Amino acid sequence: MDALVARYSRPAYQQNELFSEEEQQDLCETQPPLSLKFAMPPVAHPSSWLRAATDDRANPSCPIKIAHGTTTLAFRFQGGIVVATDSRATAGNWIASQTVKKVIEINSDLLGTMAGGAADCQYWLAWLGMQCRLHELRHKRRISVAAASKILANLVYQYKGMGLSMGTMCAGVTKEEGPALYYIDSDGTRLAGNLFCVGSGQTFAYGVLDAEYRYDLTVEEALELGSRSILAATHRDAYSGGFINLYHVKESGWEKHGFNDTNPIFWRTKLEKGEFSNVTSDFNEDDSTRV
Amino acid sequence: MARRYDSRTTIFSPEGRLYQVEYALEAISHAGTAIGILAKDGIVLAAERKVTSKLLEQDTSAEKLYILNDNMICAVAGMTADANILINYARQAAQRYLLTYNEDIPCEQLVRRLCDLKQGYTQHGGLRPFGVSFIYAGWDPQRQFQLYLSNPSGNYGGWKATSAGANNASAQSLLKQDYKEDCTLKEACAMAVKVLSKTMDSTKLSPEKIEFATVGQTKDGKIYHRLWSADEITALLKEHDLAKDDNTEDK
Amino acid sequence: MEDDSGHLNSLARACLVSLQAEAPVRVPRRRQFKLQLPCPAIGNDENRASQRNLKLARTTAYHPSLTKQSAKMEVLLGITGKDFTIIAASKAAMRGATILKASDDKTRSLNKHTLMAFSGEAGDTVQFAEYTQANAQLYSMRNGTDLSPSALANFVRGELATSLRSRKPYNVNLLLGGVDPITHKPSLYWLDYLASLAKVPYAAHGYAQYYCLSILDKHHHPDITLHQGIKLLNLCTDELKRRLPIDFKGMTVKAVTKDGIIDIEFDDDKVVKMA
Repeated sequence: MDALVARYSRPAYQQNELFSEEEQQDLCETQPPLSLKFAMPPVAHPSSWLRAATDDRANPSCPIKIAHGTTTLAFRFQGGIVVATDSRATAGNWIASQTVKKVIEINSDLLGTMAGGAADCQYWLAWLGMQCRLHELRHKRRISVAAASKILANLVYQYKGMGLSMGTMCAGVTKEEGPALYYIDSDGTRLAGNLFCVGSGQTFAYGVLDAEYRYDLTVEEALELGSRSILAATHRDAYSGGFINLYHVKESGWEKHGFNDTNPIFWRTKLEKGEFSNVTSDFNEDDSTRV
Repeated sequence: MARRYDSRTTIFSPEGRLYQVEYALEAISHAGTAIGILAKDGIVLAAERKVTSKLLEQDTSAEKLYILNDNMICAVAGMTADANILINYARQAAQRYLLTYNEDIPCEQLVRRLCDLKQGYTQHGGLRPFGVSFIYAGWDPQRQFQLYLSNPSGNYGGWKATSAGANNASAQSLLKQDYKEDCTLKEACAMAVKVLSKTMDSTKLSPEKIEFATVGQTKDGKIYHRLWSADEITALLKEHDLAKDDNTEDK
Repeated sequence: MEDDSGHLNSLARACLVSLQAEAPVRVPRRRQFKLQLPCPAIGNDENRASQRNLKLARTTAYHPSLTKQSAKMEVLLGITGKDFTIIAASKAAMRGATILKASDDKTRSLNKHTLMAFSGEAGDTVQFAEYTQANAQLYSMRNGTDLSPSALANFVRGELATSLRSRKPYNVNLLLGGVDPITHKPSLYWLDYLASLAKVPYAAHGYAQYYCLSILDKHHHPDITLHQGIKLLNLCTDELKRRLPIDFKGMTVKAVTKDGIIDIEFDDDKVVKMA
C-alpha cells in the first residue's frame, strides 16, 4: 500500500531521482528486499510492451535493438580458473563496439562475465559488486562465490519474465571453497560446474574446449586453450569478435593476462600452426567448385 | 531403277544403300581438303580454302576452321552453310554441358552429339542430310589429345591422322606413309603443309589458300588452341620452302 | 495423351496440371463477363470456388525454409585428407519425438568414387538421393566413364536449384565427397536445400556445424592420413555426444579412396563423460 501511495504521490519523472531515507536504506540492503525501484514506461503492461519493442528475432524492425551476442567462457582446473571473453557488442547487425570489457572485476578475487543484454549485465554485476562489498563490511569477511552467485540468481529471478537478458558466470577462489565457478542466467538458473561457455558463440567455444579440456591442465595450457576457444568462436560466430580478454583466477586472487586483438592472433594461428585450412588466401583458386 | 530410291533420304535402295547420304559424301569430296594430325603434345588441323574469285575479301573470317569450345576446334569439309548450323548446335551443346557440370564436355561426347543429329537426317524427317564432314581436334582429362572424323551419315571415328574433302584418298595415303608415332606438334605441322601442298592444285601455297590451327599444351600445363595468323602461316611455308615466290604472284 | 489402357500418362497429367495452374489469369475476366448474364449465380459461384481453391493452394504453398528442428538434429560430417574423403552420417531415423530406426544409412554412392550423404525432410531425402544416383549411373552407362565428384556436385546443385523454384522443392541438405578418378585428388562439397554449393576441406550440416566446425578449424590439416581423419571424426562425435540434447545413435562412416568406397568400423558405444 505504501509503495502504491509513494508511486502516485510524486510526478513520474521524479520517482528515481529522489529516494527517501528509507528507500536508500532499502537499496543498500540485499535481502530482503532484493528489488530496486525503476521508472516504468507509462503503459499497462511494461514487460509485454518491452517484449514487443525489443524482440528482434520475431520482429526484425523492432524499435529498440538490445545489444547482445557474445562468447564468454570459464573453466576450473588444477591451477585455478581461467576466464576468457571476446569484446564485441552488437545491436542487430550493427557492431556497436569492439572493445567491451566483458569481465567484471567484482573484487580482487571474484570475477563476473557478461553475456546477453549489455546494459543488464553491466548494471547488475556492478550492483552485485556493491552487494559483495556491503557483505564484506557487514560481516567482516569476504563473501563466498556461492553466496555472491546466489544473490545475483535471486535478484534476476525476481525480475523473471520482465525482459532481463543475462548469462553470466561468477568465478572466484576463496579459502572455504577453493576455486569455484557458477553459471547464472536470467531465467533464474544457477549451476555450479567445471566448465561453462555462454553466449551466441558458446557452441564453437565448447567444441574446442571440450576436445582438449582436462582438470590437470598446466597454467600455460589452460590459458592457451581458453584463448584458442574464444578465437574459434570469433571466427565462426558473427556476433563475437574484437579482442580476447583473458584472466586467471588463483588462490592469491585474479591475474589479468591481456586484452589482445583477435585478428593478428588468427593469422598467426593459421600461418604458424596450419589451422583454419578452410580459409584460403590463394586468389588463383578463382573458381573453387571447378577441379 | 535408282531414281525411285534416291530422292528420299529415309528409304533403302534394293541394294541396301541410302543414296542421299552417298550423294552428300560425294558433295564433300569436291570441297577443299582438310587434314588433321595427332602428335604426342598436340594436334594440328590444316585446310585448303578454295579461292573462287580474286574480288572475294580474303581475311574477314575463317571459313574452314572453327572453335567449338575451350577444349575443342574443328575443320570443315563440305557445305559451309550446313556446317554453320552444326557448329552452332555443337557450341550450344558444349555450353549446356558446361552449365550443368561446370566442366568441359568430353571430346567424344560432343562428337557424338553432333553425329546423333546428323544421323537423324538419314532416317526420318524427309529432309536432306547435312553435307559436311568434320575433323575434330580436342583435349580432355580422360583421354588427353584426340582427333575425330565424322561424316554426313552420322558415323565417326578416332584417328591418328586423317583427311576429308577433295583428294582425300591421296591425302590419306600420304599421311599413312609419313605418319610417325610419337611425332611432335612441330613435326606434325611440317607434315600437314607437305601433304596439303601435294593434294592441292598448285604446289606453292600462300596464307590466302590455307588455314591452320593447333591445339597444344603450354609449359604450365594449360591447354590452348589457336587459329594461325597469315604471318605465322607464311613463316611456316617459308621454313619448308613451300611459299609462293613474290615474283610469281602476278601470274 | 491417353495410353492403351485409357489412363492419362504422367506427362499428360503434368500438362494438365500446368494448364490448370494457368487458370487464375483467365478466371476474373470470365467472371466479369458472366455477371452481365441474367442468371449469373451458378457460374459465378463456381468460379469463385475455383478461385478460392487456387488461392488456398497459393497461400498454403510449401516453403522450403520451414525446416524442421529435428532435421537439424541429424548429423552429417565430412573430412578430406591427403588421399581420401570421409563421409559420416548419424544412424538415427527420427520422426517427431520418436526414433524409428537406429541403424539408418543416410548415404548413397553415386558411382565408384563418389558418395553423397543427406539430411532434411523425410521422404525428400531418399527420393532426391536416389534420383541423383540414377542420373549418375545413367551417365556412366551412356558415356562409358563416370562423372567426376566436381561434375556431380555441380549437377546436383543444378537439380536442387531447379527444384527450389518448383511447386514442391526438395528440402534436402547434402555432403558430396569423392576422389577424382583421373587425378586421384580427394574433394568434398557442401550443398544446402537453397542450392548453394561450396568446395570445402571439411564440413557439417545441422546443429553439428555449431560444435564441430570449431574443432575442425583447429585440428584439421589438408595432408592428414585416413587414420588421423578417423581420429578427428572421433573428436567431433565425442563432442556431439557430450553436448547435443538427443542421442543420434552413432554414425555410419564411409571413406572414399582411389580404390573406391569403403565402410569404416566406428565405435558407437564409447561413453563420453562431461567435463
